[in-house]
Amino acid sequence: MSEEKKDHKKEDFEPKIVGFLCNWCSYAGADLAGTSRIQYPPNVRIIRVMCSGSVDSMYILRALLEGADGVFVGGCHPGDCHYIDGNYKARRRMVLLENILGTLGLEKERVWLRWISASEGQKFADTMKEMAEAVRKLGPSPIAKHWNL
Amino acid sequence: MTHKVIKVKDNDVVGSTNDFLRNLLSSGKIQALLVPQNTPSKKVAFPVLISDPKKLHADIVAPILPASTATIVSKMTKVQPPSKPIGVVMRSCQIRALIELVKLNQASLTNIVIIGVDCPGTFPTNTYTEFPEKKTPTQFLLEAWTKKSDEAEKYFRSACRVCKDPIPTNADIILGFYGADIEKEIIVEAHSEVGKNILKELPLEDEEEGKSREKAVKELREEKAKKRAVFLKEKEGLKGIDKVSEFFDKCVNCHNCRQACPICYCKECLFDSSVFDAEAYKFLRRAEIKGLFKMPNDALLFQLGRMNHMILSCVECGLCEQACPNNIPLMDVFIPAAENAQKEFDYQPGKDTKEKIPMIVYREDEFLEVGEK
Ligand code: SF4
Ligand code: SF4
Ligand code: FES
Repeated sequence: MSEEKKDHKKEDFEPKIVGFLCNWCSYAGADLAGTSRIQYPPNVRIIRVMCSGSVDSMYILRALLEGADGVFVGGCHPGDCHYIDGNYKARRRMVLLENILGTLGLEKERVWLRWISASEGQKFADTMKEMAEAVRKLGPSPIAKHWNL
Repeated sequence: MTHKVIKVKDNDVVGSTNDFLRNLLSSGKIQALLVPQNTPSKKVAFPVLISDPKKLHADIVAPILPASTATIVSKMTKVQPPSKPIGVVMRSCQIRALIELVKLNQASLTNIVIIGVDCPGTFPTNTYTEFPEKKTPTQFLLEAWTKKSDEAEKYFRSACRVCKDPIPTNADIILGFYGADIEKEIIVEAHSEVGKNILKELPLEDEEEGKSREKAVKELREEKAKKRAVFLKEKEGLKGIDKVSEFFDKCVNCHNCRQACPICYCKECLFDSSVFDAEAYKFLRRAEIKGLFKMPNDALLFQLGRMNHMILSCVECGLCEQACPNNIPLMDVFIPAAENAQKEFDYQPGKDTKEKIPMIVYREDEFLEVGEK
């Protein structure tokens, strides 16, 4: 088996997921999961942001092009954004991003947006498990092996 | 709507429209006119802002779009709009772009009289200046038109071949070729009160049969829609990172495409900012992720980032493609992307200045499944 093929073996593949978490909700949710000692897969690399509405699609694209196998955006539940409408705007942006990735066939399944509040430590852990599993099934991102981007 | 005609004298379409434009400028209804006119070398027609009717030798047929007219109108109006009306002669894609710029607070329509011209299509600037036929591009186009032949088609820019709508909308006055027997006359329609007031003052003849225009426009739109469907089908295969990265392989990240785009108006584009300047060790670290990486860096990120920022307002003018030094056929990805994204948000750029661009508004009860799955 060539080096490349080996890379693609799914069983021993650990997805790299970049997570942009809103300071006021999902980030606190992740914190709660931690302090409550709820186990979740270590695949996610967390980046704290002030609001899901501050996640420009550029951040997501950069992560994907640089080799992330998945990108997660966590925001406050609709109606709960601390800046009133950041998450509604994030939702529109996500629809647009997915649409463009869909047109170009660029792995839109690897980008997730979820609402997770500060009190939902368990939901955070469950969502991370769910996403790690889903991305593991998808296999390593084909974008990751391209160096000519 | 006022229907009138310009009588074409001695089979001289350009000359006859110039008589009309000179009358318009002399009437005092407008203080100046922005209109394509050949430069002294006669090699290329550029938008020229004309205040003296005697200096007007325009060519509204000239099949060339060297730069965005919408951007020019934005430049002329965004600091302070004119205090008296200026007429601007524009093609449909540029009017659409201007409407988007107004929504983005980058242009004003105050005292701007839009004179829309039916667009048969335009040639790439270099084809226009090095035109291989014995005639001028304008003569060639007019002759092909009267013969109803499609021999000009092969010279058109790809954006023009599959243009969404070559008939101007949101114009005050339309100069129409479709549905007219252009050896005899050119149609002049007023589509606003401003337009009506202007036409009233000008020596024009009444149009006899308005029906032929309606029919021609309908047929043209159907034909364009068919061509567009074929194009979209053809480009469907351009999917997946292998094909997409190959498509952009020649991109040198020069940002010319963005510079030529009427919609990209940001004073400081993120992609020109110091965000992309980094210490050597950061470049090395990036190389280490994949073992190597291509320079100039972040070309695909630029393309996808730009698309995310402006595709909902993309008017498919193709100026980006025309500007690319490496001839990347950008419309092959921008048209399908614009088509799909604009459908998703049920948004038509250029339709209505009162409509808000989708990324600044939202509804609480929309896209409910997103974020919940
Ligand atoms: S992206 Fe290209 S086709 Fe679209 S508006 Fe800009 S220049 Fe015109
Ligand atoms: S003009 Fe062409 S080479 Fe320059 S950035 Fe745009 S696509 Fe790339
Ligand atoms: S503050 Fe959490 S999504 Fe806006």
